[in-house]
Amino acid sequence: MTELTHGELGGFIADRVEIGVFAVDVEFKVTLWNRFMATHSRHSAADVLGRNLFEVFPELPRSWLERKVRHVQALRNYAFTSWTQRPYLFRFDHNRPITGGVDAMRQNCTFLPVKNEAGEVVQVCVTVQDVTDNAIAHEELAASMAEIEREKAEQRKLIGELAQAQNQLLQSEKLASIGQLAAGVAHEINNPIGFVNSNLGTLASYVDELMVVLDAYTGAHDQIPESLRSAIDAQIKGVDLDYLREDLVNLVTESRDGLDRVKKIVQDLKDFSRMGESEAAWADLHHCLDTTLNVVANEIKYKAEVVKQYGELPEIECVASQLNQVFMNLVVNAAQAIAEQGTITVSTGTEGEQVFVSVRDTGAGIPPEVLKRIFDPFYTTKPVGTGTGLGLSVSYSIIERHGGRIVVNSKLGEGTEFKIWLPLHYPAAKTDDS
Amino acid sequence: MTTALFSEDQRDALQELTNIGMGQAGASVAAVLGEFVQLSVPRILVLKPSLIPPALERIVGPEKVTAVRQGFHGDLRGEAVVVYGVAHCRELADLMGYDEVPDEATEHELLLDVSNVLIGACLGGLAEQISAEMGFSAPSLMATEVEVGSLLDVSRMDSPCALFVEVNFSLEKRSFACHLIMLLPEDQILVLRDAIDRFLASL
Ligand SMILES: Nc1ncnc2c1ncn2[C@@H]1O[C@H](COP(=O)(O)OP(=O)(O)OP(=O)(O)O)[C@@H](O)[C@H]1O
Ligand SMILES: [Mg+2]
Repeated sequence: MTELTHGELGGFIADRVEIGVFAVDVEFKVTLWNRFMATHSRHSAADVLGRNLFEVFPELPRSWLERKVRHVQALRNYAFTSWTQRPYLFRFDHNRPITGGVDAMRQNCTFLPVKNEAGEVVQVCVTVQDVTDNAIAHEELAASMAEIEREKAEQRKLIGELAQAQNQLLQSEKLASIGQLAAGVAHEINNPIGFVNSNLGTLASYVDELMVVLDAYTGAHDQIPESLRSAIDAQIKGVDLDYLREDLVNLVTESRDGLDRVKKIVQDLKDFSRMGESEAAWADLHHCLDTTLNVVANEIKYKAEVVKQYGELPEIECVASQLNQVFMNLVVNAAQAIAEQGTITVSTGTEGEQVFVSVRDTGAGIPPEVLKRIFDPFYTTKPVGTGTGLGLSVSYSIIERHGGRIVVNSKLGEGTEFKIWLPLHYPAAKTDDS
Repeated sequence: MTTALFSEDQRDALQELTNIGMGQAGASVAAVLGEFVQLSVPRILVLKPSLIPPALERIVGPEKVTAVRQGFHGDLRGEAVVVYGVAHCRELADLMGYDEVPDEATEHELLLDVSNVLIGACLGGLAEQISAEMGFSAPSLMATEVEVGSLLDVSRMDSPCALFVEVNFSLEKRSFACHLIMLLPEDQILVLRDAIDRFLASL
């Protein structure tokens, strides 16, 4: 066996190595074309050598390649390309004819300056390395990373939604249990209120009758014998009969007022616990609003100017009496939040499939620690006897029953806006409803 | 700063050599880019790894950067990093004679290309001065649009100190500018010192 010379060995390896190796001179005439290049390009060395590279491969990115080679010549230095930016230099079939995954062989290329004795770059040698397997692995990894990122984002969103749902659940649960309690209390109170009310009625008429009798006696006062009269006078004086007569009537009236208030509270409680539910029907919300504003006009006219900004509203299916109650609560709250003089703006409109009603005031605003609790039943910041703290929680449950939602937006010192969204249709009754 | 690894003379010589190397680099880069390149006087520091990020931050400023790294090997072994301010990246396409706004892959390819040119020229220039043989690995994108301070993960550097050579490039007619940083580990600093000694002896 004859020995290979160093040069022969080098030539053999350059030809057979599993990497594409080729060289061009400054005119892009091909001076070296190894087997890898020949097999993959289907152009044999004999076919390519001595010819212009771009003539054999017109599809090559010519100006880019020329610039690259020029750099190598000018700087007498290496240059590189990576598949991540430029998938391939030559469009070769890849080594995965069966399993596939990419359209063509991914390539990393190195451009090396071939220098003469004087150190000038006379040719540029290019190696073409098949990195398809790496590229596919890399891309699969990137795809799974992206998938994981996407899932993470989804999870974050779900967690957010869950927290929100839990909040809502908590709120409706609170309302539901309060509702049960309220239903019980309302029921229990209703009976005694019933007979106290009728007794008071009877009492009032008895008092009237007694007064008539008393008047008759008083008229006959002078005919009473002297001996008895002084004793009676003393007794009349002792009980201060004039005052008593006056106060008796007042007491009855006040009691009836008080009872009316209790009845209103029980009514609120009933509404709150759905006891007062009635049928939903198609109604014009503008009409509801106008009626409500008329009812409360007297209460608010010294405090606030009411500005109506009505948009176009279709009729919606709702329990108008309940919505009236909501609007009334909001408008009264707004007026109560205004200390001296302000504006209450009532605006309406549609958003997507829903209609909205907004009540905005220029009042005191709601501090954050209060804001958290305003929908809680019996929560009030108003003096005892002024507010029951049921207004907003009743409103909340009414809106919820209508399949809508209510949100509040408040800036301390600037004012508050309550905004209600309602669907066009009243939700179908749940079958498990008791 | 511990420059004690170098004597006064060695340090001066290194400064001079890099200067000459960079000057040649400037000329060849200008030939490639077709614009006159201005290079700063190289800053040479020997730093503990933990001090490299703050040094970078001081040099580059607070803007977000994109960076390319390239390893070199042979008689000298180390890494070079080219740091671009994000705004300057966009100018590259124009600079390299692209007409359209490049897509991301093209923009990255340009960055790699220009970095390769700058690093090859600068380090090649230095290597020539001290007659060292050097090869380069393919450049790779280190990070895109990050804070300068987070560019290098110094916790992974195991050399007790590193030679930090910084040059900044700017073009006469444009606002384009970038920073080239050459990092040599401690054992390579010694190799460089010997090379400098040989160079001084040959004078
Ligand atoms: N427009 C508003 N501006 C400022 N605070 C408000 C406003 N609306 C409601 N609030 C606050 O929310 C609390 C609860 O309101 P809610 O209507 O439920 O009860 P109330 O008005 O206190 O009593 P009720 O309505 O039963 O007479 C109020 O006490 C008040 O502190
Ligand atoms: Mg209220």
